[in-house]
Amino acid sequence: MPKCKINGQEVEVEAGTTIIEAFKKLDSEIAHYCYHPGLSVAGVCRLCMVEIEGNPRLQIACNTVVQDGMVINNNSEKVKETVKWGLDFHLINHPLDCPICDQAGECELQIQYMKFGQYDPEMAEPKVKKNKVVDLGSKIVLDSERCILCSRCVRFTEEVSKTNELGIFNRGDRSEIGTFDGKPLENDYAVNTVDICPVGALTSKDFRFRQRVWYLKNKETVCPGCSTGCNVKSYYNEEGLFRVKPRQNDEVNGYWMCDKGRDTYKFVNKENRLLEPKVGQSGQWDSQEVDGVMSVMSTKIDDAVKSAGSDKVALVLTGQYTSEEYASMLSYFVGHLKSKNVYHWVNNPESFDEFDGLLLRGDRNPNTKGLLNGLDQHGITAPWSDLETKLNAGDIEVLLVAGPEDPSVFPTLTEKVSLFSKAKNLFWMSAAKTEAADSATTKTWQIPLKTYAEKEGTFVNHKGIEQKIQPMVNIVDCAQTLSEVASALSGQKVDHLGSLVKDRKTNHFINHHGGGL
Amino acid sequence: MSIVKKPGAIANWYLPGIFAGMWFTLVTMIRNIFNQDKMITKNYPEDKYEYSPRFKGNHVLTVKKDGSLRCTACMLCATACPADCIKIKASEHENPAVEKYPISYEIDILRCVYCGYCEEACPVDAVRMGPEWQTPGLAGTNFSYDIQHLAYRAQLKGGVLSRVDDEERHKAGI
Repeated sequence: MPKCKINGQEVEVEAGTTIIEAFKKLDSEIAHYCYHPGLSVAGVCRLCMVEIEGNPRLQIACNTVVQDGMVINNNSEKVKETVKWGLDFHLINHPLDCPICDQAGECELQIQYMKFGQYDPEMAEPKVKKNKVVDLGSKIVLDSERCILCSRCVRFTEEVSKTNELGIFNRGDRSEIGTFDGKPLENDYAVNTVDICPVGALTSKDFRFRQRVWYLKNKETVCPGCSTGCNVKSYYNEEGLFRVKPRQNDEVNGYWMCDKGRDTYKFVNKENRLLEPKVGQSGQWDSQEVDGVMSVMSTKIDDAVKSAGSDKVALVLTGQYTSEEYASMLSYFVGHLKSKNVYHWVNNPESFDEFDGLLLRGDRNPNTKGLLNGLDQHGITAPWSDLETKLNAGDIEVLLVAGPEDPSVFPTLTEKVSLFSKAKNLFWMSAAKTEAADSATTKTWQIPLKTYAEKEGTFVNHKGIEQKIQPMVNIVDCAQTLSEVASALSGQKVDHLGSLVKDRKTNHFINHHGGGL
Repeated sequence: MSIVKKPGAIANWYLPGIFAGMWFTLVTMIRNIFNQDKMITKNYPEDKYEYSPRFKGNHVLTVKKDGSLRCTACMLCATACPADCIKIKASEHENPAVEKYPISYEIDILRCVYCGYCEEACPVDAVRMGPEWQTPGLAGTNFSYDIQHLAYRAQLKGGVLSRVDDEERHKAGI
């Protein structure tokens, strides 16, 4: 394996590695726009210049393969000077749009400018004006003036989505990104081009102007949109979630995610959530306290078990919850109630096994595998048709349903709710506020649950890879996890404030000074 | 800390000090009665002190030539604000040349510390601090100023024109 020296640091890389990859391996900084590890090499931005000892001219790091014994640096005056002038060329026609540009704050051009900027431009000519606010279909807006023609988006549509919508038109300083004959950029992976755009030329319509990026915090989590389980970063503030972006995991999603997964922040936010427990039926609802509903639930279950046996109680689970929640709910049912009346609600059986060849799977639940593992462990094999028969025969006294977190992936929600309404008492646990659940015709208690953004746990993806999710925001205060429901039902007292008090930071000022201010 | 006292019995004679003080008060009062113009104290609120027009008081949102808001909703003022009293909601403008504009711009004037950072941060001269400094209100007064108040209140007589003009900049090739 060839060895080389980068900025005085010895590094050994695999044969065929380019210099820029060696830089990345060392976590050494190098300026670049057009290079992207998930795409082919274009070598158009000329910013990743490095000096190789023995070579009279500077080379681009993205397209030069490391040879044994190379001595490379990118911190000499010569390199800095070259990068500075390269950047100045990129900025010749770049507009002063930063105040209204959504990329500001995470813009590569801004970052590099702060490091290498030629702060006093030497161009006397006016800037070339190009098209602004070009509508590229339902998801993306293009601003040609801001584009620095790195061609990342063009390569993405050629190599990854293989849809070839984008191209570079015209020549010289009039070159522009565009689609042929104004056709829209509509594929299931189109918004990835917004992520890889190093400037604000491509912006997402969904996120456009909603927040400045520096107001948002982010946490690493897993997309709950389908069983692929793409690794993502969710961006949020105290109001809720605002967007989802992919992060690299070569075993799961590479660098990308699908556009459907980007919508998975919407059902977390307050306007789509069930905000408090309520009781009623057929559109007539009264709000309730969490503790009250829990004790009603536990008495109803106890009464049903005592009078007619545990067969009268059933549980329906969907693949939208964490493995930990399944484990506690199943051990309550199997261990405490001695009942195996647990059924797996498959939300879309027709398209369940579909796969689009890249990332998106027909199984639109993050943890179907985790649920199946849990059911296997407890030896539960009851098919869905059993539940239908029992419900139609009026054999179910109490039905617990852990319903959808994201109702949009449940096409037959209304029909299922009318089926569940055949039980005498229905406990509908769901994070979402749905008309379908409100239309339940039997006596129903609705209990708000936490979404993936508010709890921790494990999702098992279609390959069986276990991935952790972590809590970010608290949107509905009284929302429960299934584990909390299970422990409340099995008689353990859950301290609803417990987690809050634990997370609260100690006020060191007051503690150290032994009193108030 | 202890009070320093002059030593000796003479320090206990306080009456001369009192009479000197009363004499000064009497002289000042008589002078003010016959010479009201030079009096330092004002009869507020009938008689008001004139500050310089450059005084940095209540905020003004400037307007363009057509009377619409100059603000582009870049949120730099809200970011710079140390009191966190500026709340902006941005939206897409139907005119692509404008692109982004605020649909709501609110300053909670009771939280504002009049530091002037918003004015300094603004890249397009959209928010300024005007010379108004008296904004009292009774209970129930809305101290959260909205666009209507900040840009078009009666005192501004139709709005203050911004110095930065997009069309001129466009013509100059910027």
